[in-house]
Amino acid sequence: MPDTEFLALIHGEIDGELDARQRADLARRLLSDPEARALREELQSLCSALDAVRDVEPPTSLSTKILNALPRPAERPARAPWAAPRWRYAALVAGLCAGGAVVFETLQGPGPAITEVAGTMAASRATATLDSVRLSEGPVTGRVSLYRDAAGIGVAFELAAEHPVDALITGAGPPRRVPDVGRTAGPAGAAAEVPLTFWAADQRVVTVTLLMAGRPVGSAMLHVPADP
Amino acid sequence: MREDDDSTLVRRCLEGHRNAFEQLVQRYQKPVFNVAWRTLHDRQDAMDVAQTTFLKAFEHLSSYDASYRFYSWIYRIAVNESLNALSARRSSAPINDQEPDEAPGPDRQLEGEQTGRAIEEGLMRISPELRTVVILRHFMHLSYEDMADILALPAKTVKSRLYSARQALREHLLQHEMV
Repeated sequence: MPDTEFLALIHGEIDGELDARQRADLARRLLSDPEARALREELQSLCSALDAVRDVEPPTSLSTKILNALPRPAERPARAPWAAPRWRYAALVAGLCAGGAVVFETLQGPGPAITEVAGTMAASRATATLDSVRLSEGPVTGRVSLYRDAAGIGVAFELAAEHPVDALITGAGPPRRVPDVGRTAGPAGAAAEVPLTFWAADQRVVTVTLLMAGRPVGSAMLHVPADP
Repeated sequence: MREDDDSTLVRRCLEGHRNAFEQLVQRYQKPVFNVAWRTLHDRQDAMDVAQTTFLKAFEHLSSYDASYRFYSWIYRIAVNESLNALSARRSSAPINDQEPDEAPGPDRQLEGEQTGRAIEEGLMRISPELRTVVILRHFMHLSYEDMADILALPAKTVKSRLYSARQALREHLLQHEMV
């Protein structure tokens, strides 16, 4: 068996790393060592076979799996807007409106089912999320978002709750109560979407109050970003 | 040229352009998957490692030093994740049970040769450290300098490991009369 230095010369030759002096040294030693010549041929054959091994094609679903697993942009906590001083008065007014609307709507009874008001919103279309509020505590969890698509502005609900949840939307035309916006079994499911047909061009805020058995159990104030 | 493109994509990622990272995924999913597949020889495990590799890259992109090649950085993550997965697998199953994945990948059907199979078998019989240098050198076709960067080892150590790996594989192939 060739010594370590001789072996390094053989491997170096395979890797194309020898200079002229090292190549001459290797040639001289190979001439006088048949065992080393056999070893060199075997290693060359092995390395050729290794270099010829084809790449494996990854599954076509791999990139989708990777991209779906990437974290989404950070969402603001549910109470964050209320903490900002400039929103406190707006929140107070919106809260009063929502409170009045709760009383009004409780007396009026529930409106049309979510499937009726959402129509075909679940169909494929380009949607931009304008604002999103996450509800992580209380009897209702999930997310309420304000979105814009080709049809205009709307509110999307991805909620889970132990009991049926209605949403009261105020600040965009007459107060509007939408029944059954939360999934009552398992995790929050696909978004239920409610278009805001009375949205004014200069409007910037809408308040969503979540009601369980007619009582407020959560709220979200959603903002349209000012135009740049 | 490719390095410039990678650097641009990384910079755009850091500026918040998510689609720039998607391009990096498209560009490197195949080599990353191959590193994992050759190390683990299990398609599902290789997919999991590839996913973890890109997730970690995404999460730690701000710590990436642009003076290094991007592919060296992501290959390093892939190698480490592959070895971690292998270690976890070993701790939960005897080594004798580490049979190669029988579900054939497209490459297996194409390679389909006795030598290819003997090489794959031989690779799974040598230590993970030796296997890794063979993968980087002969399958990823990297230089010793790149390998040293990825493995955080001196180039001399990398060479020494590669020589040992070749010797071990040669002996395995000799047993199967393949060389």
